[in-house]
Amino acid sequence: MPEYMEPVIERSKHFTRPETKAGGIRANKPGPPYARHTQQILKGNFAAAEGARLSRAGFIPAYPITPQTTIIESIATMIRNGKMDATFINMDSEHSVFAAAMGGAQAGERVFTATSGQGLFYAHEVLHAIAHFRLPMVVCNVGRPSIPWNIWSDQSDSIAQRDTGWVQFYGESGQEVLDSILQGYVLAEELDIPVMVVLDAFYQSHTSENVWVPDQDLVDAFLPEKPVRGTEIDLTHPKSMGGMVSPEHYEDFNYTYWKDINRVEDLTNRIGKAFGDQFGRPYGAIEAINIHPGTKKILITLATITTTARGVVTNHPDVGILKVRLFKPFPRKSIVDLLMTSGIDPETCQLITVDRNFLGDNEGALHQEMRRALYGHQFKLYGIFAGLGGKDIPPVTIQKVIDRKLEDPNEIIWIDNE
Amino acid sequence: MYSGSVGCRGCGWSMIARHISSILGEDTVYIVPACCFSIIVGQYPMNALKGNVVHTLFAAAASTATGIRAGLDRKGKEDATVVVLAGDGGTFDIGLAAVSGAAARNENILYICNNNGAYMNTGIQSSTATPYGASTTTDPLPEYKKSWPKDLVGIMESHHVPYVATASPAYMEDFRRKVKKAKEIKGFRMIMVDGPCPAGHKTDPADSIKVARLAVESNLFPLYEVENRAYKVNVKPAQKVPVEKCLELQGRFRHLFKDESGKSVLGEIQAHADQAWETLKEKEGIVSEEYVLTGE
Repeated sequence: MPEYMEPVIERSKHFTRPETKAGGIRANKPGPPYARHTQQILKGNFAAAEGARLSRAGFIPAYPITPQTTIIESIATMIRNGKMDATFINMDSEHSVFAAAMGGAQAGERVFTATSGQGLFYAHEVLHAIAHFRLPMVVCNVGRPSIPWNIWSDQSDSIAQRDTGWVQFYGESGQEVLDSILQGYVLAEELDIPVMVVLDAFYQSHTSENVWVPDQDLVDAFLPEKPVRGTEIDLTHPKSMGGMVSPEHYEDFNYTYWKDINRVEDLTNRIGKAFGDQFGRPYGAIEAINIHPGTKKILITLATITTTARGVVTNHPDVGILKVRLFKPFPRKSIVDLLMTSGIDPETCQLITVDRNFLGDNEGALHQEMRRALYGHQFKLYGIFAGLGGKDIPPVTIQKVIDRKLEDPNEIIWIDNE
Repeated sequence: MYSGSVGCRGCGWSMIARHISSILGEDTVYIVPACCFSIIVGQYPMNALKGNVVHTLFAAAASTATGIRAGLDRKGKEDATVVVLAGDGGTFDIGLAAVSGAAARNENILYICNNNGAYMNTGIQSSTATPYGASTTTDPLPEYKKSWPKDLVGIMESHHVPYVATASPAYMEDFRRKVKKAKEIKGFRMIMVDGPCPAGHKTDPADSIKVARLAVESNLFPLYEVENRAYKVNVKPAQKVPVEKCLELQGRFRHLFKDESGKSVLGEIQAHADQAWETLKEKEGIVSEEYVLTGE
C-alpha cells in the first residue's frame, strides 16, 4: 500500500483513557488479527446490537421498523438468553420509545435503542428534548427516506435531524458501527450530549461482513460505568427538571450547549486515537484516502459509498476520497486542515460531494456543509446526487462520477438522471 | 407541597396536588406533561413539590414515566412511587396512545388526570373531554360542542389494569381514600379527577367546590372505581339533582338557558347523564359478579 493510502488520523496530545490495571489490558497493535477479540461474520444490525451489549446498556425501549428491526430483535434475544443484563420494553411508538429513553436516562441508566426513517421522523420532537435535557445516550438509525414508501438506503431521515442537537456518526462498515457505539458512549457521557450512529439500510444493515468483536474486559477498560453527574433523579435530593425557563435565562442553556458542542470534533479525534491505542483500530472525525499533492479529484463521501469508492480509486492514483465520519457537528477544522496541508492545487483539484439525501433544496446536505466549511477558501466544490431511495451505487457509478466533466461549480448533477 | 404555587383562584390543581403529595410522601417522582400544572408546580428554578418533578412533552407523560420507572427499578427503588399529573388534553387526546401503551404493559405508574374539560392552559379550546353543550374558544358561540366526551374510565379499565377511579375535590375523603388505595396497588393505576376551572368554566372561584359537588349529585361526574374490572359506585346521591342546577352556575353553558333550543339541549344532557348512570349501575352488578364467578 503506498504511503498516501494510509488513513490520516488526527493525533491528539491530550485525550487519554484511565490507566488500566497492572497485568490487565495490553494495547493492540494496529491491524488484524486483534488481540482480545473474536472474529465473527455479522450483519451490520447485529454488529450494532453487539455494540449495545458490550457497552452494557441497561435500558432498551424498543419499537419495530424496517430495516432496523433485527437490532432490537437481536438485543431482546441476548437479554432472554442471559447474555445481556438490560430492561427491554416493547413501546407503543417511536415517540414513546424516545420519551422512555429520556426518562431512563434521567433516572441514570445507560440507554440504547434503534430506529429508522419514519420512526426517527416521528420521534423528532423528543430528539430535541433529549439533547437539550443534556442526556447522554447512543441510538442507531438505519437510514431510509419518507413518502413515497421506500425502505432502502437513504440518509434523508437522519440528516433531517441534524439540527436537533445530536452528534451524528456515519459508519462505513459493521466494524465501524460497533466501534462507533463504544466511542459514542465515551463522547456522550463526557459531554452529556446524545449520539446517533447511522447505518446504511441493507447494504450495511443486512450485509454480512467480518467483524472483530472485542472482549468485554477490553471494552470495560475503555468505557467505564456511566458516571453519576448529580443531575439524575435522586429521591434523597429532589429536583425539578425541564420547567418553563424565562427569556432571561433560556439563552444560558444554549450557550453552555454551544461551548460543549464545539468540543465534539476535537474530542472525537482524541477518543478515536485512544480507541486505536487500545483496540488497534484508530478513528477520526474524517479519513483521508489517497489525498496527496498530485490528487486531481477528491470524492467526499458518507458511509458505505466510501467502500465502493475505495475500490474504484485503486485504479486512479490521482483520485482521492475524503470520508466524513463525524457529520454533526460538521468537522470543519479537520477538513480545512487536511486540505490546506495536503499539497493539493486549489486551482485544479476538484472536490466532489456525493449526496444520498434530498432535503428539498438545490444541494444535498454534504454539499451544503462542505460549502460552509470551505467558506473563505478557494477550493473548487461540485455536487452530485446519487443512490437515493436505495438505488445501488456500484463501482461503475463511482467511475461515472470520476469521469464526469465538471466545469461550473454551481451546477448540481444527478448522476443517474442526466 | 409548599405554599405559594401559582394556580388560579378556585383551581382544583393546587388542592389535589397538596393532598396527593401528602399521601404519597417524598419518595415520589412526579411526571408533568405540558398542562396547567406544569406552570403551577413552578417555573425554573422553582419546585412547589417536595419530590422530583420531571416536566415532559405533551404526548409523552406515560412514556417518560415508563422510562423513569424502569430506571428506578434497576436501581432497586421499586418502592418509590412514579406518578403522572396530567390534564385532559394530555390524557384524552395527544397523550392517549402513550397512556394506552403504558396501561396495556401494566406499568407500575399512578396516573392522575385532572379533567377540567378543555385545553385551559392555552385558553379554553375544546378537547375530547369537553362536555356536550359547552362553548369554548374553538367551539365558539352561538354554536357549542356537539359531541360527547370519551369514556376514559371505560377505555382504561378495558386495558385490564388493576385500578381506575373517578374522584372529586368536593368529596375529599373519598379522594384521599382512593389515592391511598392506589398507592398500595402495583401496576397501572389511574384516577380521573373532576377539575374546577373558574377561568375556563366561567364560574365564581368561590363556587368551585359547590359546582363539583353538584356534578356528582346530578350524575354528571359520578364517583366510582373499577378494581380488576369490577365496578363499584362510591357515591349514590340520595336525591338526584337536575343537571341544570350544576350547569347554570357555569358561564360556558349560559347559552343553553336563553331559549327553547337551549332547553332541548339541556334535555339531551339530562337524558345522557341518566343513561350513563343506569349503565354504570348495570356494570356494577354484572362485572363484579363475573369476577366473583371466576374467583379473581
